[in-house]
Amino acid sequence: MSSHTKTSAIHKFKVGFHRLGSPSNFYRLCNRLAPWFWVGFVVTATIGLYQALYVVPPDYQQSDSYRILFVHVPSAWQALAGYAIMAVLAAIALIWRIRTTEILAMACAPVGAAFTFICLATGAIWGKPMWGTWWVWDARLTSMLVLLFIYLGIMGLYAAFEDRRKGARVACILVLVGVVNIPIIQFSVEWWTTLHQGSTINLFGESTMDPSMMPPLIWMTIAVKLMFTAVIMQRASLDLIDQDRRKRWVADMIGGTREKTSENNAGTTIGDEK
Amino acid sequence: MIPEFEYAAYVWSSYAIFAVVIAWQAAVPVLRRRRTMAELREEYALRAGNYSYARDDNASRITSGDRR
Repeated sequence: MSSHTKTSAIHKFKVGFHRLGSPSNFYRLCNRLAPWFWVGFVVTATIGLYQALYVVPPDYQQSDSYRILFVHVPSAWQALAGYAIMAVLAAIALIWRIRTTEILAMACAPVGAAFTFICLATGAIWGKPMWGTWWVWDARLTSMLVLLFIYLGIMGLYAAFEDRRKGARVACILVLVGVVNIPIIQFSVEWWTTLHQGSTINLFGESTMDPSMMPPLIWMTIAVKLMFTAVIMQRASLDLIDQDRRKRWVADMIGGTREKTSENNAGTTIGDEK
Repeated sequence: MIPEFEYAAYVWSSYAIFAVVIAWQAAVPVLRRRRTMAELREEYALRAGNYSYARDDNASRITSGDRR
């Protein structure tokens, strides 16, 4: 590839990236991609659930109760990954003041909270027959509960402000403060003696889990990631339209005005244009 | 067809929680979109003077001159 072609490709990428900052482009992109992510979720979750419930054999110690792992572990991973994504978006939003990243960061919170809830609830259900108790105040469980409270706090803080942008900025600061909880969750089983077992699945080392049990776990992990992406896109596009309800691009999209406007005045407020 | 498990109640209740939460996450944006679009269409219709488009209660109030 010649240097001119390379420069041109980089330029095109930059232009494409900056165009995403345009609310109308961002809205259109989210609405086009979200259904495909949902399709991906349905396909991968169907394969994953079939394998988890019909294909993999029972565990020699835990019998069938270990099948809970196939919804518990992907949810736990997604709760943590969702927070990491939200933190990166919050940092970008605070540093560069990009509104779409602000909105995306705030869209992560309810979905992350949902996965944290699934993780805690299914963990408690697994704990009753295996540990003999629904709940213990050990480091892993408690730090996961703290993560749920942080997610709820972010959602509450964002909703508390009438000015959504101010709310998002304040909530983004809380997101960054809450990052401290992520390594605590991750390493809690190593730093403290916990009833929760240590890592059984290592991406870069040898897993103590039987390889025959891995495929459904991988499929379900992919499924929840696709679902997370689909939902944040849908939520972000709705937040955007809600914030911009008096802007020209929204009017054009709804078809409420007869005048056709160019991309350049997408940020124009209705009634302001002369 | 439905597999018989040991600890079946625990397994199925976990999968049920997962399904309900996922369904909830799928439903919320759809419902919110429907509500937002209806609000926006009504708002733009009223602004354009198309009072017949507005919801019945609002429309009757506006056409009767009651602008509370």
